[in-house]
Amino acid sequence: MKVLLVGDGAREHAMAEALASSPQGYRVYALSSYVNPGIREAVNRTGGEYTQGNINSREEVAKAIKRFNPDFGVVGPEDPLFHGVADEFRKNGIPVVGPNMAGAEIERSKVWMRQLMWKYRIDGRLRFRSFTSLEEASRFIVEYGGSVAVKPAEQVGGKGVKVVADIQAYLSNEKRRALSKSVDEIGSLVKNEVKIIIEEKVDGPEYTLHVLTDGHTFLPLPLAQDYKHAYQDGIGPETGGMGSVSGPGRLLPFINEEEYEKTLKIVQDTARAIGQETGESYRGFISGQMMLTELWGPTVIEFYSRMGDPETSAIIPRITSDFGYLLQLTAEERLTQAKLEVRMEPSVVRAVAPLGYPLRRDMATGKEISLDVKAMREKGCLVYFGSISYEGGKLVTKGSRALELVALGDFEESSRKLDGCIKMISANTELVYRTDIGRTLGEQVEKAEIVRYSYQNRIRRNSLGVSADWAPNGGLW
Amino acid sequence: MAGIVGLLAFDKVWNISRFLYYSMIGLQHRGYASSGVVMLNQEMRSVTRDVSPEDLEFQLEGWAGIGYTGSRRGYPIHNDEVAIVVDGVLREPENFLKTFARDRERALEEAKGAFSLIAMTRDGEIVGYRDETGVRPLSLGGFGFDMGIIASEPVAMSVIGGDFRREVMPGEMVTISSLNVKSTQIKEPRKAYCSIEYVYQARIDSVVNESNVYETRVRIGEQLAEEKPIEADTVIGVPDTALPFAVGYSRKLGLQLDLGFTRTGSPIRTMLASDSFLKIVGVQLKLNPIKSAVFGKRVVLIDDSMVTGTTLKNTIMSLRRLGAKEVHVLIGSPKLISACPYGIEVPEDKELIAANLSEEEIAKVLGADSIHWLSLEGLSRAISKSTLCTGCMTKRYPKVI
Ligand SMILES: Nc1ncnc2c1ncn2[C@@H]1O[C@H](COP(=O)(O)OP(=O)(O)OP(=O)(O)O)[C@@H](O)[C@H]1O
Ligand code: SF4
Ligand SMILES: [Mg+2]
Repeated sequence: MKVLLVGDGAREHAMAEALASSPQGYRVYALSSYVNPGIREAVNRTGGEYTQGNINSREEVAKAIKRFNPDFGVVGPEDPLFHGVADEFRKNGIPVVGPNMAGAEIERSKVWMRQLMWKYRIDGRLRFRSFTSLEEASRFIVEYGGSVAVKPAEQVGGKGVKVVADIQAYLSNEKRRALSKSVDEIGSLVKNEVKIIIEEKVDGPEYTLHVLTDGHTFLPLPLAQDYKHAYQDGIGPETGGMGSVSGPGRLLPFINEEEYEKTLKIVQDTARAIGQETGESYRGFISGQMMLTELWGPTVIEFYSRMGDPETSAIIPRITSDFGYLLQLTAEERLTQAKLEVRMEPSVVRAVAPLGYPLRRDMATGKEISLDVKAMREKGCLVYFGSISYEGGKLVTKGSRALELVALGDFEESSRKLDGCIKMISANTELVYRTDIGRTLGEQVEKAEIVRYSYQNRIRRNSLGVSADWAPNGGLW
Repeated sequence: MAGIVGLLAFDKVWNISRFLYYSMIGLQHRGYASSGVVMLNQEMRSVTRDVSPEDLEFQLEGWAGIGYTGSRRGYPIHNDEVAIVVDGVLREPENFLKTFARDRERALEEAKGAFSLIAMTRDGEIVGYRDETGVRPLSLGGFGFDMGIIASEPVAMSVIGGDFRREVMPGEMVTISSLNVKSTQIKEPRKAYCSIEYVYQARIDSVVNESNVYETRVRIGEQLAEEKPIEADTVIGVPDTALPFAVGYSRKLGLQLDLGFTRTGSPIRTMLASDSFLKIVGVQLKLNPIKSAVFGKRVVLIDDSMVTGTTLKNTIMSLRRLGAKEVHVLIGSPKLISACPYGIEVPEDKELIAANLSEEEIAKVLGADSIHWLSLEGLSRAISKSTLCTGCMTKRYPKVI
């Protein structure tokens, strides 16, 4: 059987690897915007073909479909989904993993997502306001001066979110000023009329639940947690994620069964609501990026219409049943036949980026990295290639997270393996990575315990999700 | 002694001057006779004055900066390349600056003293270093996706809405720039944490030297109860440092706990006031005993330390005037008998009452019914660490400088 994979990052490498090592004996074909060394290897190993082109272009995807004539397709990243790449597969009669453009709106538009959650009264929703004018948004921030999250109304490549707590009233002028300044910056990234969304700010440990659906059946994967801060010890600007953890079992140490079930329900309710709203059932991954908060317990920060990166690298290696086949079953709407087996032991993922990521991508581009994947595997680390391309026998960075290293085993043991493997990478630039990932689970457990007191108290008082803000001129919000 | 802080915003839209200002106020319990800042915009600009940080006015703008509040004059010191603030003792700071600008690791390896320091370079790096003894604290944190912070105590982060991440390890250098946060072990740790941090220097809400300060002080109170149980009607602690001692002591013995004092004016630590007149007037002005808490009662009075005894003497006298039947004094630290060479202002032997008089004599001077100091073993049991500096109590100093 032939599968066509669209995408080029570490997530797609992990998927390509799962497909290539499936007992189903898939031949892996791939379309990437550059030659990802890992995908290349999986393609070669299975006797597929690898082609380069614009992964966001329906025409180029159509060409690849015509050329390779795959039995099913897998779309990895969100951007192609936003551009209708899954629609293109389906138009050509090829089953595919990934929602149509209409369904992917759940990720592309943060405003649509929040409106949907309110319309269908889905648990874990946050209060929000949307703004077409940047001045208005700035005025709102100054007026309410509470704790808010300011975001571009649409996905603009995981950038631009500002989260500011304003408990310390005496500082609010400084914070507001910086925020209003960045509102201009954020707004300039958005093309649509609605530019900015402002949400109430919540607090608590974050986690992601990935759910596979074929439109009828839902299959939840083990939880994962992604680490957003760029630098060591959880300090630094926002990134796409500098690492992740998953496990033990299908949970994380700070999330209990009940919270897992509740989260699953939120994701299912949302997928069904999307179905009703768009008139076609949602098919593919739908992933809840969640926070455990005192307001709701499981609370939605956003939805992915795909797998998260770097969560994928933490999850796939823990799955002992045939993940590649799971993808095929999803595409072919036969998910009822699926079985999922997960290792008990957890995993830790550490991303490695060239110096300059995320604030000076120019510095992080065009650098050379070398490593011995086999030797690292012997030390207990899997390597997934991300933003790095294979050019004339060399590995050249593309400006973002170049590698994701994965180790299995209890958190401390995995972290130690990763410490050892990182040293085996050489580069002609400084490398940025975080050694604290996998070593701060204790803190997350405590954080979760604190919010758990409050949200369980809310359940007893029947006030789950109830909150408000007030300003003298703006009134209640 | 001093509180030091360094702040760096990853995005230059921030003007961090108010953040710096409030985090310094958060640290002023560590010393406040002099304060100063250096802020970085295109270039480094500084303001230093002999006032507490509350009164330090500065109109500087910038996206990175360092601040000092403490008992030494003239910090931050800087040249064109580097500015530093120091808690503890650093010899030949001017030379240090020069070397640091060329080769920071070498500068830190060769530095003479016992200290924690924070440096800021003109090209936008904040560097924190805690010497291998860890005798002075230092911690690391952040503010959202926007800032990195290094400071003496976590309170400098929490007052501005930031988060404490971890302590800097003895011998470790941490570098924050807009492109990375890095940790380098410069020297092998030879831990000798300052006992006085636990006893009174750090804030009750702090985490320093791998311990939670409040819990440690409650344990000291419990330890005092084991060592010296007293038949009394009430237990009172001298605010703020000694309150948790009183909590632990009363809890352990099932004695009533009372709030014996209320405060007038801002909390100024009388032990530090250099003028002895100020010391006498100061304490009476500042800590007013509450009559109904002590009237007709046998009182256990707990304080954190004793230097000349003047403060305690006055306190005891006023308790008696308000009708205390007995006053038993407990001190939450072993006797201070020698100066501190590492930047804590423990006076010289000749000024320390415990270095000169016997316990009986001291009780007589103070007018107390009895007096007891926490034992050295009791101290290390309460702190549950063996890697402590107790130089000012034992004259055994862990590091020669
Ligand atoms: N309402 C909120 N309250 C508190 N924190 C929030 C809120 N919204 C977002 N955040 C924080 O900001 C981060 C990024 O937000 P969000 O996921 O919405 O943006 P994004 O740009 O889509 O990021 P990415 O695609 O990288 O996940 C979240 O992981 C969370 O830490
Ligand atoms: S001598 Fe005393 S005050 Fe100085 S560092 Fe040692 S314990 Fe602390
Ligand atoms: Mg997100």
